[in-house]
Amino acid sequence: MTSSRGQLPLARTLHVTLEGHKGPINVARYAKGSAKYILTGGQDRTIRLWNANLGTEIKAFSAHGYEILSISVAHDNAKFASSGGDRSVFIWDVTTGMTTRRLPGHMGKIHVVEFNEDASVVASGSFDSTVRLWDLRAQSRSPIQILEEARDAIQTLHIDSTTIITGSVDGHVRTYDIRKGELRSDYIGHPVTAVVPTQDSQTLLVTTLDSHIRLIDATNGKMLNDFTGHINSSYRCRACFGHGEATVVCGDENGMVWAWDLLDAKRLQPNPPPKVHSKVITWTEHHPSDAGEMITASADGTCKVWQHPT
Amino acid sequence: MTSRLKRKLGDIGVDTSSAKANENFCLIGTPLPPLEKSRDTGEFVPLWKQEVRDEKGRRRLHGAFTGGFSAGYFNTVGSKEGWTPQTFISSRSDRTKKKVAKPEDFMDEEDMQDIRDSRKIVDTTDEMDLTTGRQPEGQDDPDVDPLTTALQSAILPPSKDSVGARILKKMGWRVGQGIGPRISFKQWRLQDLQSSARAGLTLPRDEDSEEASKHTYAPRDTPVLVVERKDNSHGLGYRPGMSLNDSLGVKSGNGSSTGPNISSGFGLGALNDADEDDLDVYDGSSANVRNRIAYDASDHHDGSRISLGGSKSNFRSASGPSLPTTKTFRDGTAVLPGFVLSAKPVMEDRWYPLPDIPPGWKPDPKRVWSQSQTQEQVSVANKENVEQDNKAAIPYGKWKTSGLSADERGSILGETPLPSAPRSVFDYMSQKDRERLKNITASLHAPPTAGIQTTTTPDATSADQPSPAPTTATPRIPRTDPQIARAALNGFKPFPTNPIKQARYTAYLQSQADISSIITLEPLPHQSIPEFNSEMEEYAQSAVVFKPMSGAMAGRFTTAAIVEHGPQVIEGLHTPAFEDKSSQDSAAMSEDEKKAKEEQVLSPKENAARIGMYGSLTRETIPWQPARLLCKRFGVKDPNPEPKAEEPSSTQDPSSTFDSSIPPGANASDASTMDYGIVSSTNAGNNSTGTGGPRDLANVGLGDDDDTQGRDTLTYERPSVDIFKAIFASDDEDSSDEEGDEKAGSDHELNETKVQSLENTGNTITFATSIVAVPSSVPALVDDNPVDFNTFKPTFVRREARTTTTDSDKQEKKGKKDKKKEKRKAIVSFMDDDAGDSLNVVVEKPKKKRKKDKEKDEKSLKSKQEKETSLNVVVEDDDDMWVEKPAPPGVNSLIDVKMAEFSVLASVGSEVQRGRKRAVDFL
Repeated sequence: MTSSRGQLPLARTLHVTLEGHKGPINVARYAKGSAKYILTGGQDRTIRLWNANLGTEIKAFSAHGYEILSISVAHDNAKFASSGGDRSVFIWDVTTGMTTRRLPGHMGKIHVVEFNEDASVVASGSFDSTVRLWDLRAQSRSPIQILEEARDAIQTLHIDSTTIITGSVDGHVRTYDIRKGELRSDYIGHPVTAVVPTQDSQTLLVTTLDSHIRLIDATNGKMLNDFTGHINSSYRCRACFGHGEATVVCGDENGMVWAWDLLDAKRLQPNPPPKVHSKVITWTEHHPSDAGEMITASADGTCKVWQHPT
Repeated sequence: MTSRLKRKLGDIGVDTSSAKANENFCLIGTPLPPLEKSRDTGEFVPLWKQEVRDEKGRRRLHGAFTGGFSAGYFNTVGSKEGWTPQTFISSRSDRTKKKVAKPEDFMDEEDMQDIRDSRKIVDTTDEMDLTTGRQPEGQDDPDVDPLTTALQSAILPPSKDSVGARILKKMGWRVGQGIGPRISFKQWRLQDLQSSARAGLTLPRDEDSEEASKHTYAPRDTPVLVVERKDNSHGLGYRPGMSLNDSLGVKSGNGSSTGPNISSGFGLGALNDADEDDLDVYDGSSANVRNRIAYDASDHHDGSRISLGGSKSNFRSASGPSLPTTKTFRDGTAVLPGFVLSAKPVMEDRWYPLPDIPPGWKPDPKRVWSQSQTQEQVSVANKENVEQDNKAAIPYGKWKTSGLSADERGSILGETPLPSAPRSVFDYMSQKDRERLKNITASLHAPPTAGIQTTTTPDATSADQPSPAPTTATPRIPRTDPQIARAALNGFKPFPTNPIKQARYTAYLQSQADISSIITLEPLPHQSIPEFNSEMEEYAQSAVVFKPMSGAMAGRFTTAAIVEHGPQVIEGLHTPAFEDKSSQDSAAMSEDEKKAKEEQVLSPKENAARIGMYGSLTRETIPWQPARLLCKRFGVKDPNPEPKAEEPSSTQDPSSTFDSSIPPGANASDASTMDYGIVSSTNAGNNSTGTGGPRDLANVGLGDDDDTQGRDTLTYERPSVDIFKAIFASDDEDSSDEEGDEKAGSDHELNETKVQSLENTGNTITFATSIVAVPSSVPALVDDNPVDFNTFKPTFVRREARTTTTDSDKQEKKGKKDKKKEKRKAIVSFMDDDAGDSLNVVVEKPKKKRKKDKEKDEKSLKSKQEKETSLNVVVEDDDDMWVEKPAPPGVNSLIDVKMAEFSVLASVGSEVQRGRKRAVDFL
């Protein structure tokens, strides 16, 4: 981490702007693998596939009847899952552009959907405060398990090989450890909108609606760092790690992209950052491998790809 | 051409030899049809070639009744596929252009034709204008100006007679006449009479009947029956203004029977008045037909008889001169004829003045109730006086449910109980026994505090017992089935808003659930005994109602996560509480306190979160059971497997704590390990997790949490050889037989292996199983137990998987391994192999080689052991004899860690290796 510290500032040069959505974009995800493509889902009920480098729209997936709130791409890029206002999880085949499965069962809009590592299970967290785990191997339409511990809407979800981490509006981050068979719930005290763990799963980056981003130690629940300065009080903004997990990046409700140093929680220059979106930035995601690329999606209907000037 | 003509023509100068001159205009015979139009329309066409076409030349064969078969596509609507999908075009903008669709718009030619066909030429429904007649007829009228008629005919629509009327007129009928042949004067008069009788009119009699009888007359017109429309809400036959008698059919104006109706058979003297006996009661012809009496009228006197349409005298007296019809009610509506307006109002409203409310009185229903309660209690005390009154006041339903039995009532009334009815078992007991029982029960019931008491002394309930009929005053605690009570204790508690009640309910359930419990409930201090009883009844019923469902039904329902706490209902009228100034001040003052209180209300967790002290305070860790399928999908062993069959590893010392730094094989199995010399990593894992001690994040996922790993191997008992023969050896034996035929004395080794082959087939598995399965605590394995196919089969499969997954680990051994593998593969697909010696070798060799290899391996391993890392040895060995689950993809990253552990294991390595060989020999 320290090696890259301070050397690479945040990619703040606009590479391309992905325009095409008619309305706010709620989610933008990189594809897996080399992550050359971007999937965005918006209020206009479509999911669009973009070439991140050229900025061209490749395909639009439309089957949803309501807004799209979450997308998750499978590890092999062959399929992806999406969810939103229509209370069922859609599993898509990327090549045909058709849904292969629709998983109904939730009683409210589904805020987040996530594959597990080998895309055999998809988890969906909903406004109805449950997380449902769906089996994609078997043909059964009922969920494997329903996690009902949350007392309010589930806003975020993360699955790694053996844990399921959920963030809920009730202010808890719940870590379901499948191996240990235990549930660790950390009370943050404010509605949790995003939880992003580090690669080593030792710390969690928790975004909450009190304009704080906290770095929580996953082992004991202690707060390691607190990142402030941005404004995030009513929308789901997702903070993520910068390259090499040396920085923390978050787009806020004023359309500014903030960056902090992970270790000392200092705001990186420029401070305050320029306003790059006209409306709230709903999603910030850093390229999984490329050091100098990240995307921001905003309610102004654009998704922007940022790179370093080369 | 004749010669004369020729000559003549030649004289004229016409060239007779030219073709023109020789042209022939005569046609002989029928000319053939022109070639291009060779088809004769009247030609015979076979039936199957005929086509039916409509007048427009379209092939049109549909509709079953027009002899067709096709419908839909060709001539009707749409396309080949059916209806043509059309884009929706909004008609919103040009709504004005839209015409009202007629039925004809939706009809095709056929329908139109049908309509045309069905149209009647003569419209019988045309209206007839009988008054004016045909206009042309009036034209010859002299006093009508022809101009006016022309104008009239132009302006006014021509009045139409119906065709029938026109025909009739042509036949001589005139308006106003009847239809039919002309009739004679006599008949005509008769008709007049009939019609007049019907109409009630008298016709003037014509005098000149002589003259009139000479002519025939047109019949009288049939009067049109006019049915009045009924547009009022009166009853049928009633006309407004009809008197009561009119409506009954009594004709007042009918003067036919003014006197009494005397029966026809009797004469009546001039001086005699009509007697009762002379009246003809049964005469139906009288006008008063309706006034029949079903009983003998002579039995009654006139005064006592009431009949609606009474006798004439009555009627007169009622409606006649005494009542002018102008009488009206006070509100102006007329009094119905036949009714008298009463002089006295029917009901007098009596108003009572409100009682004087004493100053300072406040409505307090509670007080009233408590009064009634105390009264009741008093009534209990002196039954004789008050009870009766009270009982009278109670409505029947309440009285019925008040719980008084017949016996109780009897005792209240002071009856002597019936001698023949013994009341309970106690009556059969001796007095002494009863006393003793009472004492026992009394000592069992103990009074706790606040109504729930654990008593040691006999209390009031037992003191009341001897009275033969228990009264309502006795606190009765209804029994609930202990099972139900126990279930209800786990179930929903129905009184969340009332904590006292909740506690009492729980106490009640506890007392009922456990018969030997010493909890008894007592009435609360302000509670009367009936109240207490009803409360207990309520508890008993709630226990039945709210006990959790059992079995299949329970799975269908889920309990609400949040119990709705309804607002606390305060009984009685609402009286705003009087707030004096001081309390208001205090309210103002307590604002800050409230805030402080709110902060206090915050749980320590919230407090910690508020001040940012995340950590142990904000963290809660609770056990959570992932679904088994979820574990499977995540490639993780079930963390809390259901306690199935007790496994041998669990019998190990539970107190032995796990320490990851110490190789577990060393501490758990010392002597036995020395004996068998076998330590496997999974065995070690078993040792550690058999303890069931607390888990540490550090050791999770290192394989040691997998306490069921290899369980089937440990519990596995070697099945009898026959099973293996049945499964595996059949082919092998065949082939070995073949081999024996072919290479009987060729190879010494082969012979040896042939002998052993049978055993080997099984041993490829039993190597692993029986070797590993002999740690210290494991009981000796018996070989000839029936095979467990469930455990057996997966082990076999997994073994294969394991060999492939751990392939990468055995890079050093690749040469040898590869050989082995080739052969193994060959076993699988040997059917495809070429015939000849390769087949035999392939079939037989693995077995032999396997054993040999093994031995060689072990030897070489042993020799190599000092040089090489023991890691590989262990892993390889593990692969050979230890059958493990395939590594889950998620755990792949952890393999490194596992290997590290294995290398730790190497510290025990030397013994291990030696021991292994011996184990092989042992088999």
